[in-house]
Amino acid sequence: MFRRVLVANRGEIACRVAQTLQEMGVRPVAVFSEADRGALHTRVMDEAVEIGPAEPRASYLNADALIAAAKRAGCEAVHPGYGFLSENAAFAEAVEAAGLVFIGPTPEQIRAMGDKRAARALAAEAGVPVVPGAEGGDGEALARAAEAMGWPVVVKAALGGGGKGMKVVADRAALAEALESAGRVAAAAFGDAALYLEKRVERARHVEVQVLGDGRGAAIHLIERECSLQRRHQKVIEECPSPAVDDALRERMTAAAVALARRVRYRGAGTIEFLLAPDGAFYFLEMNTRLQVEHPVTEMVTGHDLVRAQVRIAAEGRLPFAQHDVVPRGHAFEARVYAEDAARGFLPQAGEAVRVRWPRQPFARVDAGVESADAVPVHYDPILGKITGFGATRDQALFHLTAALDEARLHGIVTNLPFLRALARAPEVRRGAFDTEWIEREFLAAFAAVATAPAPELAVAAAALAEALGVWQGPAAGTDVAAAPTATPADAFRAAGRWRQPGLA
Amino acid sequence: MRTTWRDGDRLREAVVEARGSGRYLVRVDGAEIDVAAELLPRGDLRLVTAQGVCVAEITAHGERRFVHLAGQDFVLERTRDGRARPAVAAGGLEAPMPGVVTRVLVAAGDAVRRGQPLVAIEAMKMEHVLRAPRDGRIARVEARAGEMVSPGVALVALEEDG
Repeated sequence: MFRRVLVANRGEIACRVAQTLQEMGVRPVAVFSEADRGALHTRVMDEAVEIGPAEPRASYLNADALIAAAKRAGCEAVHPGYGFLSENAAFAEAVEAAGLVFIGPTPEQIRAMGDKRAARALAAEAGVPVVPGAEGGDGEALARAAEAMGWPVVVKAALGGGGKGMKVVADRAALAEALESAGRVAAAAFGDAALYLEKRVERARHVEVQVLGDGRGAAIHLIERECSLQRRHQKVIEECPSPAVDDALRERMTAAAVALARRVRYRGAGTIEFLLAPDGAFYFLEMNTRLQVEHPVTEMVTGHDLVRAQVRIAAEGRLPFAQHDVVPRGHAFEARVYAEDAARGFLPQAGEAVRVRWPRQPFARVDAGVESADAVPVHYDPILGKITGFGATRDQALFHLTAALDEARLHGIVTNLPFLRALARAPEVRRGAFDTEWIEREFLAAFAAVATAPAPELAVAAAALAEALGVWQGPAAGTDVAAAPTATPADAFRAAGRWRQPGLA
Repeated sequence: MRTTWRDGDRLREAVVEARGSGRYLVRVDGAEIDVAAELLPRGDLRLVTAQGVCVAEITAHGERRFVHLAGQDFVLERTRDGRARPAVAAGGLEAPMPGVVTRVLVAAGDAVRRGQPLVAIEAMKMEHVLRAPRDGRIARVEARAGEMVSPGVALVALEEDG
């Protein structure tokens, strides 16, 4: 087993990976950019190495800086988390060339599956159905291909993942701008502007299968996740198992996923994403060659730690457990907590999470990326953490998630918690009756009415009473402490409100 | 004590009148709330009204107050000039969020059509394109590619054409 592993990521996933490494007796080493000095992930790990300026390309996407940090800290392996360089074959190659172990698939597998166009071809060869698509050529050639398969189409980053930079295009007029904008985001997020088109399957669900491979041709699955609750192709709430998958369909989907993993002699943890059409047909979408954001729901239902499995496969070259050891029990729902203002077009927010209290429900798991007084920088994905509710049945798991969302406090920054709370209570979610476009087609309008409603009089009264009682008195009250560049988080916390005890006010 | 608050696009007014022994009469937009308030550590309040008892958790950040009440969050912004937030969305010419200007697609003097992309801002890996809210002519361009901008910062000034 490794003694030291570099966690080449930030935020909640860096914290989560570090927890498993520590539990395994492996010492995790954090990396951080200038903007993340003092961030939670640098505090949960005893060692942390600064890797560069705030801009992702200069720090978390900077392969040379990460490998230098790993060498300097005496690490034997690198865990890439998700996002950033987790699916970058050149990075995996550079890690291995430096004599380090990349905790993930081989560079060839990342390249084959990471290039979504090549992955589609591989899936087809493995006998897995794929969605009609088009690739290559200029905008005109793609427009002609789209017309041939029929609008609307989806523009995707060839090296993309997690839905970033993905755009639905309704007609020819909108294609050029979509290609340009998606290409720019793809270049910034993934370091490559290449795109491809796919026919959009109407009213489809997004169901994905978690797999583990030993790199020598053996592979197992950890059943499926339902990820249809999406807004702008970003998953919002995920669950395991899928309410739309019965035993027979599960058998077919997992068999297809395992066949593909075996065919490429997949190494490590991966996810095979399918579109599930209303008629029960499913199509290969892409394979994600990394740990998924939503992996906690699989962990809570199977009881297997996927990070532990990744590390053991990387260190030992074999699967840590067999297919018959995967016995799903109960149900789990995960909600992604983002710094974004759902009432104002989901605009991303940055600033300071002045006061944070994650839920402490007995049937809730929290993957936290911030604590009280932590900064939320503008430079990165606005995920603050994830809340997972689990239970014996789907209903119970959803009740636990709802209660945990109600209990969560993230004050100082506007979050999507009001949106998540409303979504978890929606009758369609309770019934499991939704597809990947349901949120945008139906739920957003219903939510807007709630989101723009006036705050109850008692909430306004409470804020006014706090002023009248002098709760926030002090020289800094009423100033924007976040704007003061020299203030430490502790200073900012004190300046944000002079706490007064009863009787002293 | 009279305070005014921005609540989304609304302006709310609250008048707090102490009645002694921890009791207050609070008028919010004319509605009267008879409330007993107990100040808890960290600035939270236990409120007792005719409807029952609840804890309001309140966090201050600048002029903003984050209020958690009965499983819900509300963000109120204290305003001292009594004006509602200017309608930013109508113009679409101010940065709607903190971010980095990635592209400036127009120059001063350009005639633009409604819906034409003017400036692109990227934040948290998402690109947002600001578009002209109406036909007109670009009077000034304040945005520069690569520049960090805060919400509300003017990026482009648009004037009526002709």
